This record gives sequence, C-alpha cells and structure tokens, in this order.
Amino acid sequence: MEIIEEVIDDIVVEIINLDRATLREAEDLKDKTTSKLNAGFNKFIIDLSNVEFIDSTFLGVIVGTLKKAVKNGGDLKLIGFQPNVRAMFELTRLFRVFETYPELQEAIRSFYKK
Amino acid sequence: MAEIKANKILLVEDEFNIAKLFVYNLTKAGYECEVASNGREGYEKTISYRPDLIISDVMMPEVDGYEFRKMLLQNDELKKIPFVFLTAKGEEDDILQGYDLEIEDYILKTSSPKIVLAKVSAILKTLEKERSKVVDEVSKAADSMGVKVVPEEFPVFEGFEIKHWHQPHKNVPGGDFIDYIKIDNDNIVVVLGDTMGKRWGAWYFAVAYAGYVRSATRFVLEATKDYKPSIILQKVNESVFKDERISDVFITLSIVIINKTDKTARYSGAGDLPLFLKTEKEVTPFLSNGLLLGFSESGEYQDHELKLESGNEIFLVTDGITEARNSNGEMFREEGFIDFLKSVPSNIDTLEALKLKMEEFTAGNYDDDVSVINIKVL
Repeated sequence: MEIIEEVIDDIVVEIINLDRATLREAEDLKDKTTSKLNAGFNKFIIDLSNVEFIDSTFLGVIVGTLKKAVKNGGDLKLIGFQPNVRAMFELTRLFRVFETYPELQEAIRSFYKK
Repeated sequence: MAEIKANKILLVEDEFNIAKLFVYNLTKAGYECEVASNGREGYEKTISYRPDLIISDVMMPEVDGYEFRKMLLQNDELKKIPFVFLTAKGEEDDILQGYDLEIEDYILKTSSPKIVLAKVSAILKTLEKERSKVVDEVSKAADSMGVKVVPEEFPVFEGFEIKHWHQPHKNVPGGDFIDYIKIDNDNIVVVLGDTMGKRWGAWYFAVAYAGYVRSATRFVLEATKDYKPSIILQKVNESVFKDERISDVFITLSIVIINKTDKTARYSGAGDLPLFLKTEKEVTPFLSNGLLLGFSESGEYQDHELKLESGNEIFLVTDGITEARNSNGEMFREEGFIDFLKSVPSNIDTLEALKLKMEEFTAGNYDDDVSVINIKVL
C-alpha cells in the first residue's frame, strides 16, 4: 500500500510510503483524510519519512487537511522530513504553520500536552 | 470516433425544451442519451442505466442538482462517474459550489451545441486516455469562451522589455496564470500565479484567480496612489480565505509593480519562488515572506523594493522550472536556475536561452506547467 492509515487513540496517522508524492497519489490521501474528517476525527499526523519529493498538488492536500482539522478544533503534525521535502516546506513558508517532529511518539505526545 | 459514440450520457433536467435540445444534439453526435427530470429520478437512473457521464441541472424540483451530486458522492461506485453541472448563468457562486462537489466541469445552458459537445467529448476522451484530441477540442472551446490564463501578447512598456514563456503541462490548460495590468503611464503590475493541481479544475481556478487578482488590484489602486503589491496580495488573500467554497484551493502568487520613471520594481509574494534579479555581476534571489493565499487570514505580506539599472533583468518563475527533471530523475533546482542565469552573457536573450536549456535538460518531458516572466531594463 502506498498510503497506510492507522488510528492511534483519536489520532489518525497517515504513513506515506512513496518516493514521489504527486498528483497521482494526492487523491488517495484526500479521500482518506476527508473520510476521517467526516467521521469526526480532527487530529492527524502525516509521516513523510519515505518521501523524497512532494509536488504542489500533494502539498495542497496536506495544507487543506490542516486547515480543516484546525477549523474543527484539532491539528495536523508532520514527521520525518528528508532534505528535499524540508526544502519544499521552507520554500513555501509552510514551516511556519505546521508543527514538525522527528518521530511519531513525540508527535503523539504533543497532542496531549496542551 | 466509433468507440466514443457508444458512450452513454444521463441528462438530468426538468425543463422539457432544454432537455429535448440537449438530447437532440448529443444523439446527433452519436451518444446514447437518457433523461431524468429531477435528482431523485436521476439517482435511480444512474443505478439502472450506469451512464459514462452525467450532465445535471442545478435548480430542479424535489431533489436539486447539488443534493443529487451529494447522494452520488455517498456511493463509492457512482461518485466515480464524471459529473457536469448545467447552469443557467455563469455566476461564480454556482460554479464554485459545483467544484466543491468534485465535478468535472460545468456547462452553461446557453452554450452553443459546439461547446457542449466539445466539453462532453473532452471529458469522455480523458477517461479513455485519448489526450491529444481532448487538448485540441478543449482549447477550441476555451478559445470560443474567450477564456485565457496567459496573455497572447507581451505588454508594451517604455524603457522595459517584458515577455514570458508559458508551457502548459502536456499541453493541457493547467493552473499557472500570468497577467499584466497597466495602471497608468508610469506603472505596470506583473502577476504570476500557480494554482495547486494540474487538471481541469486547476485551469478553471486559474481563470477565477486571475479574475480575483484583477479585481483586487483595481480595488487597491482606486483607494490609493501608493502602489504596493503587498496590499494587493492581502486583499486577494482576505477574499480567498473567507470564501468557504474554495477552501481546498491554494495558490502561490508573485506580484511586481514596475515604475518606469524612477526605475523601481516593488515585489511581494505568497508562497512563491523567489524573484531573481540578474545584474552584470551577479544573480540575487529575493524571497518573499508571505504564506500561500487562502491559508491564513493574515498572510504577512511584505514588499521588497528593487532599484533597477539598464541591463538588469528580473525573472519570476513557477516550480515547473525548478522541479523539472532530466532523464536520470535529477531536478533542475533553484541553484541550477541561478547557475544558468549567471552563465548567460548580457548580449544573449536569456529567455530564449532558457527555453533551449530546459528543452535540452528535460528532453521535452515536463512534469508541470512551466511559466517564466522576464522583465529587462533597456
């Protein structure tokens, strides 16, 4: 599976098992997160550890999910950046709006700190 | 054409005369056609008839077009059938609400049969991966609708040479757009935008955004003589942010206002690539601070003011350049672009040289729209 979804407590974790996350796979992620948002979930973690490149369409889905999650009182956090993907987030100034963590447990804990 | 003519179309329309006209034109073109008179009947026929394409009116008794679409979206199989809204008027409200419901396209009831058939054919052919014919027909339809996302001609602005290179992804209209707005004798606004996504939806939004930017620009210019791109960006951002119907759409935008009297360029950007200034000695990227449009109400847009000299060149680019790949999968990158600009001598046309370089680098295989605006001080 290219995108693996797990639910840990009330947090949805989407593991992106792709070298290149692009238009083709963006729909799949959008379907998954939309279905979870509709089911009432508002906490998301997206694991990008395996991703070497992310295009603007895929990024758009992540950004859109973050916006909806925040609107519903939740958040979306990112883990596991490779240099190119980090550069993409820096370039689009999106680092300012996403909380990022080196690994999953830390990201999970961050949801319960506040 | 034979396989296309066998395609089945379900038309959901309560006005008898309009339904009759559409059925006439569609069957004449060789499509098989069934009609339902409201959303409920449409849903039942979708299940029994299994059309290849659904064309549905918006305003209908009992179950309207939006409700009908929502019913289909609940069903994993039925939601995959391409869906087109038929609208009475070309109002943005109708159209944008339609796109929010994951539709393929919309058709105006007043469209000529030629445009309707071109769109229907385009959607079905896309499914059948006959891209080349789709491009041709949709381009023709777009032409006849007078819709452009990139100007056909370069603007004339004394003391400057302003030109662009735009290459749509696989020649299909995409999400990049370019605009030039001459404010007065001294000032011109140069706009480069990139809507996230590469399909027809992106093309539609590129058209809509170009309209947004134009309106916002006029609004700002009417209110002040202190022309600041950051204020234009903020105005566009506010409109987009508040508009729930396009909450899924994100866009990068670069705005440059050139003043020919004091030879300055004011630049502000939203999630865009840097503006590149090429002088005789060096190439300097100016990175804007602003967030993608529509993401947060305060986009924190700031202006850069550049003092220009004769021979200086400004470049605005979209990620189709920096993310272009060669046959080994290596990207051109921002560093590659800067190195290229540095390597071009001042007596050579940099934009033409860039086209050649990109053709050589990608062997003509682009992953995205490619858009570059080049402003040279004469």
